[in-house]
Amino acid sequence: MSGSTTLRLLQGDRPYMLYAAFAILLVVFSLASPYFLSISNFLNIDRQTTLVSIIAVGMTFVIIARQIDLSVASTLALSGMAAALAMAHVADSWAVGAVAGIATGALVGLLNGVLTMRFAIPSFLVTLGTLTMARGLALVVTDTKPVIITNEAYFAIFGEGRLLGVPAPIAWTLAATVAGALLLHYTVYGRQVYAAGGNPTAARYSGIDTRRVTTVAFVLTGMLAGLAALVLSARSHAARPDVVQGMELDVIASVILGGCSLFGGRGFILGTLLGSLIIGTLNNGLVLLGVSSPLQLVIKGAIIVAAVAFTKR
Amino acid sequence: MHTFDEGSIQIDGREVAFASPARSRDAGIAVVYQGLSLVESLSVGANLMLGREPRTRFGFLRKRQLMRHVEEFLDAHKIPLDPRVAVGSLPFAYRQMTEICKALIGNVRLLILDEPTSALANDEEVILFDAIRAATARGVGVVYVTHRLNEVFRISDRVTVLRDGADAGSFDTPATDMVELVGAIVGLALPHRIAARASTAAAGASLTLAAASNSRLRGVDLTLQSGEIRGLAGLVGSGRTEILETIFGLRPLVSGGVTPGGAPLNGQSPAEAIEQGVALVPEDRQVQGLVVDHSIERNLTLPRLSLFSVWGWLRYRASVRQAEASMVQLNVKAPNSATRVRNLSGGNQQKVVFAKWHHPRPTVLLLDEPTVGVDVGAREEIYRLIEGAARSGTGVLVVSSDLAELLRLCDRISIVVGGRIVQTLGRGDLDSAEDLHRRVQVAQPANELVT
Repeated sequence: MSGSTTLRLLQGDRPYMLYAAFAILLVVFSLASPYFLSISNFLNIDRQTTLVSIIAVGMTFVIIARQIDLSVASTLALSGMAAALAMAHVADSWAVGAVAGIATGALVGLLNGVLTMRFAIPSFLVTLGTLTMARGLALVVTDTKPVIITNEAYFAIFGEGRLLGVPAPIAWTLAATVAGALLLHYTVYGRQVYAAGGNPTAARYSGIDTRRVTTVAFVLTGMLAGLAALVLSARSHAARPDVVQGMELDVIASVILGGCSLFGGRGFILGTLLGSLIIGTLNNGLVLLGVSSPLQLVIKGAIIVAAVAFTKR
Repeated sequence: MHTFDEGSIQIDGREVAFASPARSRDAGIAVVYQGLSLVESLSVGANLMLGREPRTRFGFLRKRQLMRHVEEFLDAHKIPLDPRVAVGSLPFAYRQMTEICKALIGNVRLLILDEPTSALANDEEVILFDAIRAATARGVGVVYVTHRLNEVFRISDRVTVLRDGADAGSFDTPATDMVELVGAIVGLALPHRIAARASTAAAGASLTLAAASNSRLRGVDLTLQSGEIRGLAGLVGSGRTEILETIFGLRPLVSGGVTPGGAPLNGQSPAEAIEQGVALVPEDRQVQGLVVDHSIERNLTLPRLSLFSVWGWLRYRASVRQAEASMVQLNVKAPNSATRVRNLSGGNQQKVVFAKWHHPRPTVLLLDEPTVGVDVGAREEIYRLIEGAARSGTGVLVVSSDLAELLRLCDRISIVVGGRIVQTLGRGDLDSAEDLHRRVQVAQPANELVT
């Protein structure tokens, strides 16, 4: 180990490095594009980041528990369809839509958790399977057609209104983040998630039911994908089965950038939020700079690899 | 693996000094470790010829030639292996035989076997011994490292006893006997009588096992008094560790009962055992005992989080206070409770594992090799901790390969053979580690004594 200060900064004090990275990104983009620093652009970034930020809270639990969930984008699409169809066919009430959407997400998460923990299939494979299955199901229920939503209360609560003066999507992001932070950092369950990911054997020898703890993390992630589905469908007044394909990559990248170790046992919610803002800012800034979308993918991919290289022990 | 500083090593009369295992391999030395080095998905033949496969001019494999070559080799040595079978599908003894063949098929002159029978079932060692005899018949020298003295008499021509890294005597096997060998191992020079500890055992059982059986236990009966320290002695693989794991709910019980304190356990989960006051300090603290990347505080409070929470809400300050108090009581040397366990010495890590179960006192404390990899000073501290637990009424069950340690600590010692307690000795019946060592060896099944 060399005594280089930069190296220690990169490996040890991750939060500061994260703040620095975010600040550098802001400076670079505002110098490069005059439009970047405007209020309307920031609202734009927030709106684009909302979905990723919400799901990334759940993904943080899953990754700290030493698992991965690739199915989140498909789960979002399926949950949106469930919410819209419930409002169209069961009862035209925002609550019915919300329950249907979140419950659908929870079910997919439960399936992920049970297959991974009870049947000991690596979560990478399980969620690769449910990724395809959930997307296929979302497409097949209406034969690929979108479902229109007409419930005004639903739009107001999840999409266009304000909650306590804050635009609804941002309010839901904050709510998910705060709830996630409390659960992860201030409860027994949070401690158990860290232990289950840090050393599953030692956790078992300390009486922790690692299967239950990890399954709950998958269910949480599914529920948050459901919440994100409500926010997206309320904004577009419809649920579409083909939305947000590939978004799982942005979610995972946010969590890893935010300081979670893919090897489990390490990470924190504030880091995840910051990670998702960095990804959002990056997406936005690259667009403003006129970088072509294929090239954006290359840059994002490189950043994920670099982040993982730094978290590696 | 290790280099030497003084002296010399000679092979066929030539002096050698190997800088790496690959060099010694070139000189015709092959080592068969306890962990086998075979590719399980490949056939026996492919494994034997790994790295020296016959090839065509274009680099393609000559598969038929390879199999023919291996078959001829196996026939020549009368080894009953089918070269086409995948190694992964073979019983352990045959995998080991494959490993030995792999060593023989090269130009090997010296074969080193390290505890080769530790993972074998009783009747499988015949297979291993046949393979070893095939090797010696071919003129290969075999060094056989073991702590099972019965095997020394069955397979060896000469035996050298090593104690604390030094030669403690060599014997021609036919000219020696068990008593002489055990004497050399334990050190006859000081038949030191280890003073017995003043017993703290009290009336009232803290743990009862009634005919407890599962895949590794064959009807274990045991009653542990509260305040008693009971030793479990036996060879590696005898089922000592498995007895502890079964009590702690890590291995499901098939029949029989485990009753710590009052009610018998039924759910067979560690959580239930902990709830009933059972605690386990496992054998491998890095893998089973600790989350080494997490802080002392996180590790300490892990098994009993419910003590530091209200409705699932963590009382962080109470948790830190408890951790810091335990660190003082157990003399854990670290800056504070936020220190990562990874940065502690072995002895301090082990004290953290003990501290997980320090407060409140468990009814039953299970210890598996409690002082392995711990320096002498910390070892004494750990002994005092164990005695302190017994004084406060906890029943302690200790598994240890260090027989002097068992004599130092225990009120009674049970000898475990083949997943069963075959004999329980009071501390007064034993006067030295040599005595206990002999009794453990004598307790082995009679069929192993046949030469």
